[in-house]
Parts: sequence; structure tokens; C-alpha cells
Amino acid sequence: MHISDGVLPISVAVGGYVAGAGLAAWSARRASNEDLPKVAVVTSAFFVASLIHVPLGPTSAHLLMPGLAGALLGPVAFLSIGLGLLLQSLLFQFGGLTALGANALMMGVPAVACGWFFQKYKGRTQLRQTIIGGLAGASGTALAAVILAILLATGGEDFFGVAKIALLAHVPVIIIEGIVSAFTIGFLARVKPSLLMHSFRRPQIPAHG
Amino acid sequence: MGDVNVIQMPLWQLFAMVVAPFGLLAVVVTLLRRRIRRRSAEKGDPDWSVPQLEGAAGHSLIHRWDVRCKIVTIIVYSFMITAIRQMTPALVAIGLSCLVLIVARVSMTKVLMRILAIAGFITMFLLVMPFTVPLHKGDTVIVFGGLNWLQFSMRGFNLAATIAAKAVAITLLMEPLLATAPLPVTLQGLSRLGVPDMAGQMVLLSYRYINVFRHEARRMATGMQVRGFRKRTGVATVQALANFLGMLFVRSFERTERVFDAMRARGYRGLFPEQTLKRQRPADLVGAGLWLTVGVALLVFDRMIV
Repeated sequence: MHISDGVLPISVAVGGYVAGAGLAAWSARRASNEDLPKVAVVTSAFFVASLIHVPLGPTSAHLLMPGLAGALLGPVAFLSIGLGLLLQSLLFQFGGLTALGANALMMGVPAVACGWFFQKYKGRTQLRQTIIGGLAGASGTALAAVILAILLATGGEDFFGVAKIALLAHVPVIIIEGIVSAFTIGFLARVKPSLLMHSFRRPQIPAHG
Repeated sequence: MGDVNVIQMPLWQLFAMVVAPFGLLAVVVTLLRRRIRRRSAEKGDPDWSVPQLEGAAGHSLIHRWDVRCKIVTIIVYSFMITAIRQMTPALVAIGLSCLVLIVARVSMTKVLMRILAIAGFITMFLLVMPFTVPLHKGDTVIVFGGLNWLQFSMRGFNLAATIAAKAVAITLLMEPLLATAPLPVTLQGLSRLGVPDMAGQMVLLSYRYINVFRHEARRMATGMQVRGFRKRTGVATVQALANFLGMLFVRSFERTERVFDAMRARGYRGLFPEQTLKRQRPADLVGAGLWLTVGVALLVFDRMIV
């Protein structure tokens, strides 16, 4: 769920932009300058993946995947998610122009946190990677929901009700997200484990002198 | 809550005032979505969302406006709209946005799609806020058929409606902002305004590759369907979808490497060729000034009325 225009107080919207830009700059510094085009292309893969709907009883939910992005991309995930959201608000208008910074914080911070969690505890066996991956996926969405609720609640006590409902609406998504992340990470652990080492690292040696 | 004006209404009014309008809204939104999807499927271009990349057609005032002025003006104006607190100025803002739409002569279908995209989130506010807003002195609440736990607060409804109006007013401006110039020109305008070059290039690259990976995903999905996969609620479906995702990532990460190697082999050094931007005319600045003055006037109007 993305925040749309006109919901957040102006100070929060502007603050979200400032904090989001700062974190994006930090995130960009973690990749070498040469890798940034690659980040862009990988972002479109995540973008396409987020369009996939998982059937859930009578309705369906589409995946948000902050946890998965964090596990695969590491700190660069923030930049990637910010870019994805920018594209989404440019092309689809999910999440407005003025709320872009706040939306990037809501999805990007959980991604980086869960990516760190996954890298720290993933261990070596496939089973363990699957379980930790599932936990990272579920907690990524849970954290995003909490941040969403906090952002909504900055509007004052009038917004508390909406914040609570938004939080509750995420519960089924959190469960699905956890299961899908677990299976996806399990698949990658079997098929291409090198992807789980996160591909974008700050190079140890400067690339060109 | 002694100081709250309570209006008693029979229970059927709840259906007439709340359930029926929202049900109608949901039906209309669903029908419109389906209709637009079907129409775009007939035309063979499912990407309703994609603003024209190469050469935007049109010669309206907005098309001819300098791209830097346009970006700055519309973004600043959008933030001004966000700061509105009252209902009337928000409605005036919607009127102004419609005026801009008429001047810009953009595709109304796309504008409609953007409105439909925010409908869900906004409807949540309209449905939840009237019932959850804390009651203050002098508020008017409607109680339906003696159900005391279900109080429809007029202040909450007003607040939610104002939010909805602001969201619509800003959303209406997105199409004039984005579809009145080719995307590369818009991004170039951004980079002239001090946004790092790399950001604009990343947007262009991922914009291109979204469509590539979409095709890839569609091909994989067709393969799954041919082998008899149908989406159901259950662990088996989720597992199949997860494998699908994993495969999509494996393929696209590998493709990324190949793409990047190919770009470097063709001499990519971190820059794409740029088109020359038209020079800024004084009229562009005057237009920006006028528009922003209207925004300030709206805000003053908003703060004056109580």
C-alpha cells in the first residue's frame, strides 16, 4: 500500500524527501559508480516481479518484496526501491508525487534492515537460508506496515483510526510475503547461490586507479 | 461527550448514505477498469501507463512551455495543494487542475487511469475516517438507528473528503506534467535543475527494461499455463509462483550483466547523448510566476476562511 498525495502533512512530506534523498545518496555510495546502471536494470526486474498477483481467497495481493530486495541487493536496495517507486509514481500513479520521499522511507528502510538481517544470519545450509529468508520477507513487510502507520499517525489523532486499519490490512500480506520469500530464497539457494551474496558491494580496490 | 450535536437517523439511512454510495463507487471503478483494459487489449498496447517516450504529439501551451519551468512550477504547486486544509480551496484546486487538463489536451483515458489507481487508498480514508475520528466539542455526529457504537462524524467525513479532493487535484496534474514532453527531455530538464545525471539515466534504463522483463515474465507465465498451471489459493500455487520469481531474478540478473557488457563494448561511459533544450524565454518564467501566484492565492484563501 502506498501513500497518495494530499494525505501527509506538508512538513512530513518535505521531511520524507530530505531523509529519502540522504539515504539514497548513502545507498548509491555503497555501489561503485559503474554499477549504478546495473542497479537500474535490476530495479526493473523487481518492478515486474511486484506486478505479480498471488491469489488469496476471493481477492489477490500483489507482492511488495522489501525483504527480498534487501536480501538480494544489500544496502543498494534503498536506491533501487526509491527508483522503483519513482517509476511507479511516474507511470502508474500508485503513490503520489509529493509523498514519494515518505514512500521510499517506508519501503527502503525495511529493505536495508532485512537485508542486513539476512546476510548476518543466513548461515550455510539451504534450509536455514530458506527459513531466514522467509523471516526477512515477513519482517520486511511488517516493518513497512509499521512505518506506514507511523507516517499516517503524524497527521494527528484524527488519523489514528486509519493507521490502525492500514496496519491490520497488512497482516495477510505479511504472511504471504513471508512464504513467497522463503520459497524464492530456497529456490535461489539451490539454483544460483551467488545471487544471495548480494551482487553490489563496495569494491575493495578502486576500479580505475 | 456532552457537547456533541447528535442527529438520530433510522438504520436504513446508513445504507442510503454510506453503503449505497460506496457500493456504487466500487462497481463504477471496477467497470471502468475492465473497460479500459479491454479497450487497450483490443488496440494491442496493454501499456496504458507508459507516457510517450519518443516525441510527444501536441502543440498546446503546456507542450511549448520550457520543461524546467514546467517541472518546478508543477512540483511546487503540488506541495502548495498538499498544504491546503479546507474543503473549498481544495475544490477550487480541482477546478484549476481541470482547466490545465483542458489547456494541455492530454489523453483523458490516461488521466482516468491515474484517478482509478488512487481510488482504493482514498476510499479507505472516506470509509474509515468518519467512524474513527475522535469527537471534539461542537462536532456533529449522525447515529443510525440507535447503534451508539457506530457514529458517523461529519468532521471526519469533511477531513477525508478534503484529503480526497487534494489527492485528485494533484493527480490530475500528473499527466500534463509527464505526457507533454518526451520522457528523456523531462529527465534532462531535471538534470539541468541539479538532480544528478545518473538518476535520470537510471530512470531511463529501468524504464526500458521494465518492458523487456515484462515480456520475459509473460513468456514464462505462458509456459507455466501450457504445462497446466492454474492459480489457486494454496501452498502449491505460492511455491510455483516463488520459483517463477526466483527464475525471473536469475534470468534478469544474468541479462543485466550481458546488457551492461554490451553497453560498455559500444562505448558507454556513463552518459547518453542529449537533445538540445530550447532556450528559456521570458514568457516561460512569466507563466511559472503566474501559476505559482495562483497557488499562493489559494493558500491565503485557505488560511483566511475558518
